[in-house]
Parts: sequence; C-alpha cells; structure tokens
Amino acid sequence: MDALVNKRIKQVLKGDQNAFSDIVSLYQHKLYQICYRMLGNKQEAEDIAQEAFVRAYINLHTFDQNRKFSTWLYRIATNLCIDRIRKKKPDYYLDAEVDGTDGLNMYSHIANEEDLPEDVALQMEFQERIQYEISRLPEKYRTVIVLKYIEECSLQEISEILDLPLGTVKTRIHRGREALRKQLNKL
Amino acid sequence: MSTCPQHIIDYMHEYLDGDISREHEQVLKQHLKTCTECQQHMHQLSDTIAFIKSAAHITAPPHFEEKVMKRLPRPKSRVGVQK
Repeated sequence: MDALVNKRIKQVLKGDQNAFSDIVSLYQHKLYQICYRMLGNKQEAEDIAQEAFVRAYINLHTFDQNRKFSTWLYRIATNLCIDRIRKKKPDYYLDAEVDGTDGLNMYSHIANEEDLPEDVALQMEFQERIQYEISRLPEKYRTVIVLKYIEECSLQEISEILDLPLGTVKTRIHRGREALRKQLNKL
Repeated sequence: MSTCPQHIIDYMHEYLDGDISREHEQVLKQHLKTCTECQQHMHQLSDTIAFIKSAAHITAPPHFEEKVMKRLPRPKSRVGVQK
C-alpha cells in the first residue's frame, strides 16, 4: 500500500490532481472515523475529515516519503479535531440538526456539554453509549484512547502522530483508561 | 477507593500495554492473588478496554471522495492527463 501511495503522491506533486483521489479513497474511512470519534458529530466529522485531506493536498510537498503517510495524515486530522474541540462554543450543538439514521441521535450531540442523568445514560443504545463515554473524556485522553483502541495504532505511532514523547503517550493512555473506568463504574 | 500501593496500579497499566517486565509481572500476580480490591480494579480496566474496542467501525459518508476533490484548490500546472 505504501508503494502505491508514494506513486500517487509523486503524480500529484507533478501536477496530476486526479491521482489524489486514490489517496482519499484509501484513507477516507479511517480518517473519518478518527474525526467522528473525536468530535461525536457527523457533520463536523465530515467537514474536518475533508479539510484534513485538503490540507494534506496543499502541504503534500512537505511530506517525507520515507515516513508512513498515514501517520502524517492522522496528525493533520487530530490537530484539526483538537482545534475544533477547543474552539467549540458551549451552545453549539443544541440547535444542530439531529440525524438519527445510524442510531446516533441527540445524545451524541449533547454529550460534550454535560453529563447525562444516570438513568438516561443507562437507557442508551450500546453503540451510542460508547460514543457518549468517549466524548466525556478530556480531549488529551480522548485522542490517545481513540488512536489506540479505535484505530489500533501502536504506542510508537501515536507518539509520532501527536509529536509527544512515548512516556507522555503512555501516561495519557493510563490516565485515559482510569478515567473511563471511573465513568463506567460510577453507574 | 484503593489503599493499595500506586505501583501495583502502574504495573496493571504496564501489563495492559504489553510492556511489563518479568519482575513487575511477578509482583503484580502475587499481589492480585491476595488483594480483592486490586483484582476488581484489574477486571474493571479489562472491561473498559473491551467496551471501547466494541465500538462499531464507522465509514465515511457517501460521495466523500468526490466532495474532497471538489474542495481542492485548482492545480497550478497542467501536466496530468486532460479529460
């Protein structure tokens, strides 16, 4: 896969914009998934994932082809997600459109704002509940937990994606696991 | 909750990351044999991981690729194949 990606990158750098569509096609699901799990909102996830690809395209000449492309791409996406989370206004989601087609409804929209009453949380669909618990995590733990357990990145990869020392990544994963454990066992 | 030494909790996390040393693993196992609180802590951590890992795979919405391609800035040079 890396050989194909590097071939497409070279074509894009020579001016063949269409070659970029294969790169999007290869990584779209993983990238969208990271954004969705980080942001807990479909519209935002789509917007940020698209933006990440656009930024990757614009900055493609800065990518070192001896490295793993996914690491570089995930880094762009996680940075955009973190920026978005930090800028988020407290009342942003409440009037947002609710699109419940995948069993993801308003709970995932209000999840970032405040903890739900316990009985409401207990009645959630299982998948909804997972997303709710992820979005209750502080952003720096959420990022590592998503990369580790949803994307199944190695600790070393996570350290490269987030540009953090391996020790810091481990500490955050430990704290993230403890935070989640407490959330789940409070009920 | 726990009155157990912090290093035991640290060893649990080392164990879960798969980078625990033999000595630490021995200490952890010995401690878990006798301490129900730590056993429970360890179980809760394993359950937490299983919970997160059961998250369904999410796929990008339809026409995602097309939409990205439309958002790209116009290429400056035209070396590629023209349609």
